[in-house]
Amino acid sequence: MGMHRKILRLAAGLMVLPGLLAAQARQISGTVTRVGTGAPIPEATVSVVGTTNSARTNAQGQFVVSAPAGEVRLQVRAIGFTRKDAIVPAGNNTVNFTLDQDVFKLDEVVVSGAATTVERRQAATSIGYVSGDDVTKVASASIESALHGKLAGVNIQGNGGAPGGGLQLQIRGTNTILGAFDPLFVVDGVIYSNARILGGRSTIDNGASVLEDDPANRLADLNPADIASIEVLKGAAAAAIYGSKAANGVVVVKTIRGAAGTTRVNVSQRLGTFDLLRRYEPRIYASVAEAADPSTGHGASAGTFLQGRSLEAFNHYEQVWGKKRLSYETVADVSGGTETTKYFMSATWKRDNAIEPGTGFSRQALRVNLDQKVGSKIDISVSSVFNRALHARGWGNNCNNYACFGYALAYIPSFIDLRKQSDGSYINPAIGGGVSSNPLQTAELARNEAETFRFTGGVNFTYNAYTSEKSSFRVVGSGGADLFSQNDDLWSPNELFYEFSQARPGTSIQNNGKNRQMNWNLGAVHTLRTGGIQFTTSGGMQYEDRRLLTTRITTDNLVPGQQNVNQGTNVVAAQTLTPERTFAFYGQEDLSLLDDRLLISGGVRSERSSANGDIGKYFAYPRVSAKYSIRDIIGSGSELKLRAGYGQLGNQPVFGNKFTLLNTPQLGGRNGFAVATTAGDPTIKPERVKEIEGGFDLNFWNGRINIDVTAFRRQTTDLLLSRTPAPSTGFTAQIFNGGQISNKGIETVFGITPIQKSNFNWVSSTSFTLVRSNVDSLPVPAFRPPASGFGGLGVLLIAQGKPLTRVIGPKLNPSGGVVQDDVGDTNPDFRMGFQNSFTYKNLNFSFTVDWQKGGTVTNLTQLLYDDGKTSSDFGTPAYEDRWFPRGFAGQGIITVYIEPADFVKLREVSVNWGLPRSVSEAFGLGVRDVRLGVTGRDLLWSTKYSGLDPEVANFGAAAIRSNVDVTPYPPSRSVFFNVAVSY
Amino acid sequence: MTTTKLSRVAGVAALVFAAGCSDSHYNILNTNAPTVEQLTGAPNKAILGRAALGAAALLANDLGGEISFFAIFGREGYNLLGNDPRLTQEMLRGPLEAGGFGGANFTGKYIALRTINEYLKAIDAAPDLTAAEKSASKGYAKTLKAVLLLRTIVRNGVLGAPIAVEVSLNDPPAPFVSQAGVYTYILAQLDEARSDLNAGGTAFPFNTPSGHEIANTPANFIKFNRAIAAKAQVLRSTLAGGGNAAYTAALTALNESFMSRTGALSNAVSYAYSSASGEPNNPISENLSAQRFYIHNSVVSGVQLKGNGQPDNRYAAKVKPAIGDAVNRTQGSLPLHNFKPAMYNNADGTADLGADIPVIKNEELILLAAEANWFAGSKQQAIDDINLIRTTSGGLAPTSLTTSSTNAQFITELLYNRLYSLLWEQGTRWVDARRFNLLSTIPLDRAGDVTFQNMLVPATECDARGLSVPCTPPTQ
Repeated sequence: MGMHRKILRLAAGLMVLPGLLAAQARQISGTVTRVGTGAPIPEATVSVVGTTNSARTNAQGQFVVSAPAGEVRLQVRAIGFTRKDAIVPAGNNTVNFTLDQDVFKLDEVVVSGAATTVERRQAATSIGYVSGDDVTKVASASIESALHGKLAGVNIQGNGGAPGGGLQLQIRGTNTILGAFDPLFVVDGVIYSNARILGGRSTIDNGASVLEDDPANRLADLNPADIASIEVLKGAAAAAIYGSKAANGVVVVKTIRGAAGTTRVNVSQRLGTFDLLRRYEPRIYASVAEAADPSTGHGASAGTFLQGRSLEAFNHYEQVWGKKRLSYETVADVSGGTETTKYFMSATWKRDNAIEPGTGFSRQALRVNLDQKVGSKIDISVSSVFNRALHARGWGNNCNNYACFGYALAYIPSFIDLRKQSDGSYINPAIGGGVSSNPLQTAELARNEAETFRFTGGVNFTYNAYTSEKSSFRVVGSGGADLFSQNDDLWSPNELFYEFSQARPGTSIQNNGKNRQMNWNLGAVHTLRTGGIQFTTSGGMQYEDRRLLTTRITTDNLVPGQQNVNQGTNVVAAQTLTPERTFAFYGQEDLSLLDDRLLISGGVRSERSSANGDIGKYFAYPRVSAKYSIRDIIGSGSELKLRAGYGQLGNQPVFGNKFTLLNTPQLGGRNGFAVATTAGDPTIKPERVKEIEGGFDLNFWNGRINIDVTAFRRQTTDLLLSRTPAPSTGFTAQIFNGGQISNKGIETVFGITPIQKSNFNWVSSTSFTLVRSNVDSLPVPAFRPPASGFGGLGVLLIAQGKPLTRVIGPKLNPSGGVVQDDVGDTNPDFRMGFQNSFTYKNLNFSFTVDWQKGGTVTNLTQLLYDDGKTSSDFGTPAYEDRWFPRGFAGQGIITVYIEPADFVKLREVSVNWGLPRSVSEAFGLGVRDVRLGVTGRDLLWSTKYSGLDPEVANFGAAAIRSNVDVTPYPPSRSVFFNVAVSY
Repeated sequence: MTTTKLSRVAGVAALVFAAGCSDSHYNILNTNAPTVEQLTGAPNKAILGRAALGAAALLANDLGGEISFFAIFGREGYNLLGNDPRLTQEMLRGPLEAGGFGGANFTGKYIALRTINEYLKAIDAAPDLTAAEKSASKGYAKTLKAVLLLRTIVRNGVLGAPIAVEVSLNDPPAPFVSQAGVYTYILAQLDEARSDLNAGGTAFPFNTPSGHEIANTPANFIKFNRAIAAKAQVLRSTLAGGGNAAYTAALTALNESFMSRTGALSNAVSYAYSSASGEPNNPISENLSAQRFYIHNSVVSGVQLKGNGQPDNRYAAKVKPAIGDAVNRTQGSLPLHNFKPAMYNNADGTADLGADIPVIKNEELILLAAEANWFAGSKQQAIDDINLIRTTSGGLAPTSLTTSSTNAQFITELLYNRLYSLLWEQGTRWVDARRFNLLSTIPLDRAGDVTFQNMLVPATECDARGLSVPCTPPTQ
């Protein structure tokens, strides 16, 4: 009863408070400027601590804020700057602030709930943060590659060297085996698809799996130049606000928005090239006899071929991937606005001409972000971007008819010149003891392109219903749509050497992936400050609708010279629609007390989804977290923050998991019914991740040292599993929930500003990530997950009591014979990133180093070279040690081909010089600022791996990385010069 | 905020809420394919017609694998593509891996049996089928089932095979039945099917599929059913419990089959293939320039010549020299190979992806008759039957066999004819060598090469039975 009365009193108070506001007369004003330069800081938030009063600075950095009488404390926060407090005595109504740069981004505001945000300094969970500047400093095709070495707890790995992305981002380990494995990407409040639409390449090259199509992931559409910040919600306690799509973490991207003030124009131009980073060297043959001997060479046909030809050793990697071509990127943006209307518009035109002829990546993007105040209480912000991307990713990785370049090269002796001959023809390597495929012929004549058009737009609406000293209430609504259409255009014309012997030479494919995702969110946030405690209560509902439609037409046996899918005899059409709808309620309570030292946050999200067996059932995902700050622990201004959190996440069943289908085999022009071989589970439910995390942040030395240490333990139960029933049942797979896997790990960030002088500054940040997985219980026999490798050649095997990333393969049994046993583990022991930035006056030098310790790669590229007798060390003891235990004479031992994946990569280097203001202004035309720079990506590597790149995945992105290397698109380094001009 | 604005917000909220709560909004069906309930839920004539067609389509499951694997075991040929070293390692030298090639060519037939069993269960529930139509449907399905189990037991040999496979996935898998037991079951199914077909009226309630043209009515289908029964009898005649009784029964069945000593030898019920879009393609067919399938050199050297010095017509039609890249192909230390299976090729040597493969053909029936007659009936009739094939199909001189020739001499002659008449159709050389205990006569190319008695129980089948791999499940 007493409680009720209190609530009633509170409610009554709440209703009266807005009226009181008008009675206040005191106004405090001042300016906010940057330390050192004294430049005004617009858009800084000045708030009166203990009240909900706040104001924003204008373009001149000026503010006016209402305050109660008496002594008050004002706090200023601005993006990119460390917050500052100041006591304003009674009777004083002016105060000026100078802010330091926030080098460790502790004052950035990050997502803490479906409708709430918190400063990272205050957050009760560890949230990774990368600013837009760090993303764009060095030219990159997609944002993932710009994040290498910059985040703790996030494992970013490339899958091969093909242009335009194709990386994978894994947050806190592998949390699923067969479920969705991508983090959830949210861009300006819109759920952003990172789908990989398979283009159908494996139909042409006879790949072992459709996963070998090597598509780009659609995150490649996101323009790095538009990014203001990237927040990574790693833990369940943070990510649970996204429910059953957040099991793999959430990446929240915010794009740049306009600021009030004069119109600003930035134009930047980059020019540069890509160049082959590592390569296989040619085998040098001692004599024609050696080349023609079937045991040391390539048989009689090689001998015939070499008659009248000199025994040259052509460097095929140089011939195929040795060309440097000009690449460029032009970015222009305009921003500005007034207190009520702010805009940001940007346009990008980018073209990466990659090292393989005919391959590359382009992106054109046009973005408009608009923020509008309507009256005093309503804020509306709109984000929209339209872009086009063109991927031509070539012909890397495994295939089974030598259409793939690297694969073919493993079987083409070095004495065959792949280049176009003077008569315009190409040599078919088969006539010289090689295989029927010439990569340069394929590069010239075949096509493998994906063109994507994408629109992503969202709107955020805030209605600040009322604000008083003690409480506020606002209604927030947001929604948006992400629409794209990817069109793959593949053509493998009849005259290609590998098409010759096919029963139906010539293939043309038109593939289309159409994605439509929408999400709507409506919530309300109430804050109440009473008795030194701030209650933030929020709640609302969310609706998500996703729909991906893929259609494909494949035509074989083309009329020579024709590429239209009409011009062949065997036309196969395929269509797959995967829709999904989710509805959720959520509620959250945040308590901030003890002068913000203690923060307790708890919430629950409850959702239903069409993907579940029971579509009416609501699954709840609770979370709770707390932090306690001990201030001035090592000197004034220092702070030790202890934090802990617990949360649960879901991973929805994959569309179709609940259905047992009928196949419709065709015979004699009609379709029959046949029971499909996968038995669905009509009671399927989401996987559930439960995580506990704890850690501390220590900030001292006047903010110059910041340490963030987090340990976590997460368990996934109710895994989506596929059991293999006895084949005699006629089913080859049965879907069900069961088992448990766990991941535990440590992630730390150590930030330090060793030198902080007026004209010289050194900022350094070191991240460390360690994750270990274990299969706790598995109600099915050990099994190979999808994309696990090639049988007998080292494969992942999921088995109880073992890490998920364990690789097994044939190895020597100490007691004789050969056994299938552990030969590797693809999980690195740890990863570290080192970011350093040196600024001397207008000159900045930065570099990022990415270090992976441990992990294994299965080097099947070398195996193919050895099998093809084209290894550069053929005949040496090193070769014999590899091949004889493996080859026909041997026992199929794979151990020698399992290699350490350790690497140290100099990911990014940049030198930027800003012309002195007097010089740049001398250009006239309103030029304010001119920056010149040189940037490099992947300039230097050090690795124990004998292959090309230990970051490799033949099957592309997968829940569990198998690190299988089968003649990938080779890695390249890039160097770009850039000029940026601001008006 | 004005009332209009408020009501607008409320309206949106209500819409979102309504969308969130209506069940039908979340009941998203899979529109990519029908679900199994569409077959089992409320079957009718049209649906069952599709299931019958599906069963016929699935009849060809595993077929390409069986033909090429058995051809390799029996050295009818090799797969020399070289993309998988196991094809010239495990397949020629062993050990067969139950989780790899050794366990292959098993599952597809049980996938087909699952559909056939679901079809059989659904037939009685169809309201728009007459009793005769139901009976005809059952006879059809049971005959197909027998064909699949016959191929299964040929693959499995002494391992036997599971039969009662209509188990729920939550129950233990069906027990293995002994080799003899499987033959008994197959023959019983065929007899049941014959009774069903006899009561099946004059027409099937569905269109019979391509490849079944000579068996398109219940009456004609019985002739196919009997042909399979004859083959099952002959195959089991060399096993315990078989013997002359089985040969005698085979002769009876042959008389009721579509065997015709005067008809075209190519008359057949076939697995139908087509090069048209969406249709299944012949799994063996490839260009003469392709580097995959080759005829074993012993088939080349072992062919008999016609009077004019030219090889056996069957050889001439079925074996062609490799061309282009395919010339002089080898893997490992195997000898060079230069001849390609061309029975499924066009006249110009290109692949005919629409070439049918016989389930059973008149020529095979006559050879079955020859064998059964030799061992259980008239040896002269056997010689006549052999000669019919030799002269008509091979263009060869009659055999030198006489009624006083030894069984071994007869078997040599029989196996020569079976090899060239059925080359790359069913792996007959391996199957025949096994049943006549002649596996040691299969020509091997390298020291250490071997041939096998049977394929293995797949590793996954062992796993599901809690047996360690490789396994020999106990038989009932």
